[in-house]
Amino acid sequence: MLGCYDFCGHYEWTFEWMRQQGGEPLVRAYWDEAIRRDSQRHAAALIAAKGIEGMKEYWGHTLADEGAGYHCTTTNAVYRIDMFACPSKGFLTRNGLRQYHDYCDHCMGWIGPMLKECGWVVDHEHNHCGQCWWELRRNDDPTPPSKPGELGGEHDVRHRADWLPPHGTMDVYERANDPDDKTTRKTG
Amino acid sequence: MAPSAHPLPYTDIKPVGAADFYFAINATFRFVLNKSGIEGLHRYWTDLGARYFAPVSARWSAGGLPAVADYWRAFFAVEPRSDVEVSADDASVTVNIRVCPAIAHLHKGGREIVPCYCQHCYFIGEAMAAPAGLTIRMEGGNGSCQQRFLRRDTTPAPQDLARIKEASC
Repeated sequence: MLGCYDFCGHYEWTFEWMRQQGGEPLVRAYWDEAIRRDSQRHAAALIAAKGIEGMKEYWGHTLADEGAGYHCTTTNAVYRIDMFACPSKGFLTRNGLRQYHDYCDHCMGWIGPMLKECGWVVDHEHNHCGQCWWELRRNDDPTPPSKPGELGGEHDVRHRADWLPPHGTMDVYERANDPDDKTTRKTG
Repeated sequence: MAPSAHPLPYTDIKPVGAADFYFAINATFRFVLNKSGIEGLHRYWTDLGARYFAPVSARWSAGGLPAVADYWRAFFAVEPRSDVEVSADDASVTVNIRVCPAIAHLHKGGREIVPCYCQHCYFIGEAMAAPAGLTIRMEGGNGSCQQRFLRRDTTPAPQDLARIKEASC
C-alpha cells in the first residue's frame, strides 16, 4: 500500500517519473490538474469564499497536520507565512531523497494557479533548505512585499542566520502565479 | 544514507502521516490513468514498487518473511486510523486490513475514488516482493482486504485481478 506517512518521498519520486515520461510540461500539468484541481480543490473553495479567513483555515489545518515549523501573520490585506522548518523538504533531506531537480517548485506549481483563480498574487522566496516566506495579496493591491521584519517581526525567516545557505540558490517570485515565473540567485 | 534498523526505510519526526495526503495519492492515480491509460498506471505502480521501495525489497531479501511482517506492522502503525492485523507462519505473512485508512479517509472526504485504486496494493506489493523471491496475492478491497506474502517458489496461482474489488464512494 502507498501510505501517507512517507507521502513526500513518493510524491517527490513521482515528479521525476513524470518528467521522464513527458518532460517538464507533464510535471506542471500534474501539479495543476491532479494537485490543484483534484486533491486540493478544497483550498480554492475556502479561499474563494472567505479570502484571508479561508487561508487561515486551510493552512492552519494542513501545516499543523503535517508538523510544519512556521509562523503566520495576517492583516486585512495580506496573508504571510514564515516557514522555518518545511515538513516535506525536511522529510526528504533527513531521508536523503532527491530524484527531481527542484522539489520546492511544486508549491508554486499548484498554489500559484489556485490563488490566481481566486484573484490573489504571490510574493515568495525559498532557500531550498526547508525555509521560505510567502505574502499573498489581492491582485489589485500594488503593495510591494514587506521588508525583513516589517510584517513578520521576530518570526521573519529572513532574520535567521541560516536563511542564506553558503553556496546555495534562492528562488524569488514577485507578484507571481506561475511556478516558472521566478528568478534564481546564488548565495554566499 | 546508512541503513537504519527501523523496519521503515524512510522515517519522519511526526508520529503518524497526514491523512489528507490520501487525496493526493488518489488524484495522482486518476491523473496517470487519464494521461497514460491503465497500462501506464500499472507501469507507474510497478516502477514505484521496484525503485522507490527498493530499500524495502532489500530488507525483505535479507530478512525473509519475518522482515515482511515487521515492515507491515511498522507501516500501518503510522497510517492514521488503520485497523490491521499482521500474522506470520513459516510459509507466509498475512496482512488482514479490517479498515483501510486510505479508503476510509477518501470516503469521509467525499472524494470520487479511482475504481482500480485497490489494485495499487497488488502491483506495488508485487514489485517490492519479487526481488526478495516473494509474491503477493490479495482479495477484497474498497475498505477491507487480505494481502498474503509468500515465497515465489511455492508457485501459487496467478493473481486474479477480479478478486480485487473496485473502489467506490
